[in-house]
Amino acid sequence: MNVIEIDKLTKYYGKARGIIDVSFSVNEGEIYGFIGPNGAGKSTTIRTLLALIYPTRGSARIFGKDIIKDGHNIRKDIGYLPSEVFYYDNMKVIDILKYSASFYENIDKNRINKLAEIMDLDLYRKIDDLSYGNKKKVGIVQGLLHQPRLIILDEPTSGLDPLMQQKFFDLILEENKNGATVLFSSHILSEVQKLCSRVAIIKEGRIISIEDIKALQKNNYKKFKIDMGEAVNDDYFNINGVANLVKNASVYSFLFKGDINQMIDKIHGKKINNLIVEDPSLEEVFMHFYEKEA
Amino acid sequence: MNIFSQELKMSAASMIYWTASIVLFVLLFMFMYPPISKDIQVIESILSNFPPELRRALGMTTLDLSQVLGFYGFLFIYILLIGSVYAMKSGISVLSEEIRSKTADFLLVKPVPRTRIVSAKILSILSNLIVQNLLFMFISYIIISSYVNGSLDTRTFILINLSLFQVQLFFAAVGLFLSVLIKKIKTVLPVSLGVVFAFFVIQMINQSLNDPKLAYITPFAYFDVSKIIQNVGYDTSFLIINIIIIFILTALTYIIYQKKDIPSL
Repeated sequence: MNVIEIDKLTKYYGKARGIIDVSFSVNEGEIYGFIGPNGAGKSTTIRTLLALIYPTRGSARIFGKDIIKDGHNIRKDIGYLPSEVFYYDNMKVIDILKYSASFYENIDKNRINKLAEIMDLDLYRKIDDLSYGNKKKVGIVQGLLHQPRLIILDEPTSGLDPLMQQKFFDLILEENKNGATVLFSSHILSEVQKLCSRVAIIKEGRIISIEDIKALQKNNYKKFKIDMGEAVNDDYFNINGVANLVKNASVYSFLFKGDINQMIDKIHGKKINNLIVEDPSLEEVFMHFYEKEA
Repeated sequence: MNIFSQELKMSAASMIYWTASIVLFVLLFMFMYPPISKDIQVIESILSNFPPELRRALGMTTLDLSQVLGFYGFLFIYILLIGSVYAMKSGISVLSEEIRSKTADFLLVKPVPRTRIVSAKILSILSNLIVQNLLFMFISYIIISSYVNGSLDTRTFILINLSLFQVQLFFAAVGLFLSVLIKKIKTVLPVSLGVVFAFFVIQMINQSLNDPKLAYITPFAYFDVSKIIQNVGYDTSFLIINIIIIFILTALTYIIYQKKDIPSL
């Protein structure tokens, strides 16, 4: 079953582009990555799913229900963590959490304490006195306390130190193990790489690719670095499937997607000083996407 | 219910301050009533040197300042002004504050329809205005009574006071409507002051020119204190116009807010 189904979702802010014809689906129980640089349309997509903004065209369904018509019913089972969290001043952390809890039925009251303990959050401090990172922790507890079936994270880790990031990821993984589906938006690829099974890549408002993370990283792309011992044509390695070809003195480096034997054939019989073949980081694969599409 | 009580918690202090300020205003200016009523001939001869347009604009030709309700009525013009600024401020801020303080992302992702959010917030304004009016009416009744020999004309007193509530409803509705119409309101009080004073100036011009058409566009004319004292009642057509305007603006608030894009952080 698809928890999220997005069909040609389009949003213009007046004449300014938000997103254009965005379509993808997230399966139940999946951790789905959503990556792209700032301003690509990640937040616009997420805010439309939450009915904070209204689509210009297209539609989306969550749990099989229309996001506009059934928005408030859908949101019973959604936990949302925005990139920046803001709360009413003059309230204690516990007051905010209780206010938040009052919107949901059957809240387990112990869960607030449990989550606060995991995230090392003092419940009796005033919101105004909290640092950016601590406010973020309030956001995490607040987003998870009603045990949502769908967790939507929009650049969730900014402001958290590495230790807290790890605790946060563990928490998300545990929720996922208990059945929660996760949509994880980020421009930091390593975190997406760590958690997600699939990823949608968005650029300038359009989805340019949907990839299986493992396939993207392991099967398809190889990063080559060849130090040639004899002179070859600049275009020698520029065969089908090669990207980001850079020649630096006698060293050629590039990404290659395709049958590895093709590349071995190219090298075969040539004199080479050094050869490095490795899995590219997602970052490099991703940069390649952007350069190719640009 | 939770939004409503949260809203009340956040707005109670402000309501008390504004109520205290109009009480204080009445208390201070009523001190001037005994000397003015005693020397009313002298005062009137001074006032008669003012151009008649100005006297009409200030409401000094139709109110009898030697009578306690006449004097109170004269003060009441300014109470209406202060009360209206408060109502307008409440109306503008109740929905837009969530966007300004960036808490809209918190509230609007909760499992409640937007219409229910608007209702809860409007209800909180209504409660504040009702409490304010009851408090103010009660305290000012005590103050005014202390200046009356014999009994106070309670009916007229209540009619004058109830006009405050109705004018406030008008401005609260205008505030709500503006707050959903304008994309992002940066500051609330200057806008409220500006709009209320504009309507007030229209009323001054209306009184000065005696132009019956102008009266239709300002609530200060719908509830003209001197006419309330004269007739011991409201002008029914203005009463209805006021209700219709409030109703339309409130309905538009619901409709526009339902489709409003919440600007991102």
